[in-house]
Amino acid sequence: MQRVVPWLALIARLVVGGVWIAAGALKLPDPAESVRAVRAYELLPEAIVPTVGYLLPVVEVVVGVCLIVGLMVRPMAVVSSVLFVAFIIGIAAAWVRGLEIDCGCFGGGGVEEGASSKYPWEIARDVGLLAASLLLVWRPRTPWSVDRFLFAADAGEGFDPDFDSDFDQDPSDDLQPDVNLEGRV
Amino acid sequence: MAKNNAGKNERSRAARQAAEIRREAAKKEARRRNLAVSAVVLVAIVAIVGIALAIQSGRDSTGASATPPAGAVGDFGVPRGDADAPVEITIFEDFMCPVCGQLEALTRDFLEPAVDNGDVHVIYRPVAFLDRYSNGTKYSTRSVNALAAVLDQSGPEVAAAFHDLLFDNQPQEGTDGLSDEKLIDLAVEAGADRDTISAAIEDRAFGQWVVNATDQASKDGVTGTPTVEIDGERAEGSIAEVAAAMKAAIEAASK
Repeated sequence: MQRVVPWLALIARLVVGGVWIAAGALKLPDPAESVRAVRAYELLPEAIVPTVGYLLPVVEVVVGVCLIVGLMVRPMAVVSSVLFVAFIIGIAAAWVRGLEIDCGCFGGGGVEEGASSKYPWEIARDVGLLAASLLLVWRPRTPWSVDRFLFAADAGEGFDPDFDSDFDQDPSDDLQPDVNLEGRV
Repeated sequence: MAKNNAGKNERSRAARQAAEIRREAAKKEARRRNLAVSAVVLVAIVAIVGIALAIQSGRDSTGASATPPAGAVGDFGVPRGDADAPVEITIFEDFMCPVCGQLEALTRDFLEPAVDNGDVHVIYRPVAFLDRYSNGTKYSTRSVNALAAVLDQSGPEVAAAFHDLLFDNQPQEGTDGLSDEKLIDLAVEAGADRDTISAAIEDRAFGQWVVNATDQASKDGVTGTPTVEIDGERAEGSIAEVAAAMKAAIEAASK
C-alpha cells in the first residue's frame, strides 16, 4: 500500500493538472467573457468580479502546469483544493437558487437552458478532483517531479514529513513489489 | 578488561553523538536550502501570475469610452416603433444564438403589426455573448457592430429591417457566420448606403460600443440570450412561454 500511494499521487497530479490547464487555457482568450461567467454566479461583489475573472484562468493554468511538472506540488495542491471547494460552493449555490447557468468551467458561461440538469455531474466531477487534490496535499512527493531535483529529501520532519517517508528515491524500484502476478499461475 | 570495555563504550558513544550532531547539522542545512529554494520559486510564480493578470486586464477594453450610434435609446438600445406605445418590450439577443432565432420566429407575426399599430415599443439590446462560436471570426460582435452602424447612418426603420434580415439569414452556431460582404449586402438591402456602411462594418466602427453594450447587459443581470423584459419585468420560462407572455401583454394593452 505504502508503495502504491506515490503512483496514485502521480496519476492525481497528471489528471488534476491536465484538467486545470484545459479549463484555464479555454478561458484565457476572452477575458471579458470570463468576467461575465464569474458575474453570472451572483456571489461576488461587483468590485472584485473583474479581477477574479481575469485572475482565475491564469491561476488555473499556473496550478495545472506546476502539478504536471511536479513543481511545488503541496502548495499547488492546496490552491487546487481551495478552488474546487469554491467551485462546488458556486455550483451548489446556483442550483439551490434555481439559476440556470452554464458553469463556465471550460469557458463560456451564462444562462443555458437545462443547465441545472448538469449541476449534479459537475459537482460530482469537482468532488472527485478535490479528492485527488487532497491526496496530493497529503502525499506531495511523487515520481517524475521537479520537486525531487529542487528539494533535498533529507531535511527531516521540520520541512516536509513525506521526504522521510518509506518511498525511496528511485521510482523504478517501487514498481517491482507491486507488479501484479496476474497471468502467472 | 572491564576498564577497556568501558573505554570502548565511551568512545563509541562519543562517535554516535558526533554522527548524530553531523546528521542534525546536515538536516538543518537541507531545511534551510529547501526554504530558500521554495521562496525563490514562489516569488517567480507570483511574478508570473501578476504579469499575466496585467496582460489579461489590459486585453479587456470593457468600459473604454465609446460613442453610441445616433438613435440609440439609453446608450445601448436599438429602438423599434413608437416610444409612447403602451407596452415596452426589451429583448436582449445575440445574432448567433439559435434560441434567439426561435424567439424571433415565434414572435415576428404578431410583433411587427403591433409595432406598426403603435401598440408596442420594442427595444433590442444586442449583445456579443457568443463570439467563441464562430471559429474566431467573432460573428456576434460583427453583426451587432453592423446593426449599430446601420442605426447610426440610416435610422431605426432601416435598422429594424436589417435586424430582421440578420435573423432571416441567421448562420448556424459554430460556423464562421455571415461574412462582412454579406453583412454589407444585407445592410444595403435594408436601405443603407453601400459606400458609407461598408467602411463602418469593415472597420468595426462600433466595436467598443459592442463591448460596452455586452458588459452592461451582464451587469443588468442578463446571463444569457434571449432575455425578455416586458415593461421592465423579466419574462421567465421557456421560449414558447416568453413569446406567449409578450403576445398577452400586447393584447391586454391594445384592447
